[in-house]
Amino acid sequence: MTQGKGANKRDVVIEVTASLMFPFILLFGLYVMMGTGGTGGGFQGGTILATGFILYITVFGTDKGREKMPESVNVFFKSFGLFLYNGAGWLCILFSLATAQWLNMPAFWPVTEFTGVAGARGFLIAYMISVGIGLTVMASFVSQYFDLSMKEDDEMEGDEG
Amino acid sequence: MKPPAMKPLTISGFITAILLIALSIYVVEDLPAFGDENSPVNKYVKLFNVDADGLVESLNAGILPLQIKIKIEDMGFNKEENYPTLEEGNYRIEWSEKGSFEGGRLSEGGWDILINEGEIFYNEPIRYYFIKEENRNLTVYRYNFPVRINELTEEETATINIVTAGLADYRGYDTMGEETVILTGAIGVILLLRRRGRL
Amino acid sequence: MEWLIQHVLEKYNFWIAMLIIIIGLTATIVKENLLKKLIGLSIFQTAMFLWFVSLGDVGRNILTTWGLKTGTPPILWEQAAEKGYIYVNPLPNVLMLTGIVVSAATTAVALAIVIRIYQKYGTIEEDEIIEKEKEFERVGG
Repeated sequence: MTQGKGANKRDVVIEVTASLMFPFILLFGLYVMMGTGGTGGGFQGGTILATGFILYITVFGTDKGREKMPESVNVFFKSFGLFLYNGAGWLCILFSLATAQWLNMPAFWPVTEFTGVAGARGFLIAYMISVGIGLTVMASFVSQYFDLSMKEDDEMEGDEG
Repeated sequence: MKPPAMKPLTISGFITAILLIALSIYVVEDLPAFGDENSPVNKYVKLFNVDADGLVESLNAGILPLQIKIKIEDMGFNKEENYPTLEEGNYRIEWSEKGSFEGGRLSEGGWDILINEGEIFYNEPIRYYFIKEENRNLTVYRYNFPVRINELTEEETATINIVTAGLADYRGYDTMGEETVILTGAIGVILLLRRRGRL
Repeated sequence: MEWLIQHVLEKYNFWIAMLIIIIGLTATIVKENLLKKLIGLSIFQTAMFLWFVSLGDVGRNILTTWGLKTGTPPILWEQAAEKGYIYVNPLPNVLMLTGIVVSAATTAVALAIVIRIYQKYGTIEEDEIIEKEKEFERVGG
């Protein structure tokens, strides 16, 4: 029976396995996220990255998990991913005067002079949109898991707050 | 001993199950078979049949006969509903043999009608209609959107992953809204569960 | 016997998906524990994705390299047109991909609401919560 945080028995096999698998899961998630030259995409890579963090938090507890993903880094990833994608989208709507054609972004972008229209759209898909989606999905899933599994030791029952 | 009376919740659950079974039989009966090669959602839709009296020569010469043009516009593919018009000089007719490999796809024997759309980035002619001849009848089909996606993705966006190109480029605004929903979910959990100054 | 093959055996995907939909939806209505209702809702959403994605399968009579007779996944490769393969319809896959992730996020919000209900009432059975609500009203809040 547990009486506080430090009374659980530690198991060596599970801890070594989890700490060995953790960097390889993150590397595979990054490989899937940048894979528009084959299978892959933003949503799929983001959830694989979140799975690595959730494995580490489940084995080691929330206190040690907080060192890997502190609160400020979490908030930065959440907002930076949304800023990349929504920034590109709202610029398109403004510059095309709300005719809502996604294609007009290569018309005013300076990258178009080097690669042409098709290359500019490929650059947008692979490096700006996928990365934006992946970071937001990873950060929001990890933060939801932290909130649902944190124990409040000093809260009374039936309290409304 | 009498069994205990059923609660109203279980009775309503069983009634829902029976209604759903009846609805599913009604819906699944009309669907095409799973994995059907010629299902109309994935290839082309049949429009109408016309007698092939003297029309084959004018199709081979590159002019669309007047009967077919009037019938197509009567069905609703005209200028008022924002479809491209079938005027002179706006279209082109191509003939391909059955089993030949041209333009990157395996073709069945027939005439393809290619129409200029006249927008900013869509300058090349796009396949719209397809005419086949069988049993002294001419059947007119209309290509569906998945055919255009499969053939033109490599030219327009330089990616070979059709699913990601459809998510991020052709349907980009939908994905923008769904990402906002995911962020709102994370904020909702924070507001519900963090108390006493831990925010 | 022909109607059996034509209506039942050729469309086995849709029948299985409707069976799981029925299981999920009756579980949401009949069960009284709040967590079991949420699990039924999640089962229902997963079966809906299966039903929608299997509308787009094409090409049953062409032999592929791995021995099955289906269409290939919608990623362009050069040998597909020479050998006569057909790509699967990409549109249902595109539309359901965001739906899967959004359903996971909304399940998390629902679980947070269940935790707050437990902290206030002390149980997660439905009829006990209704009795405690009536007592609250009778006593005066």
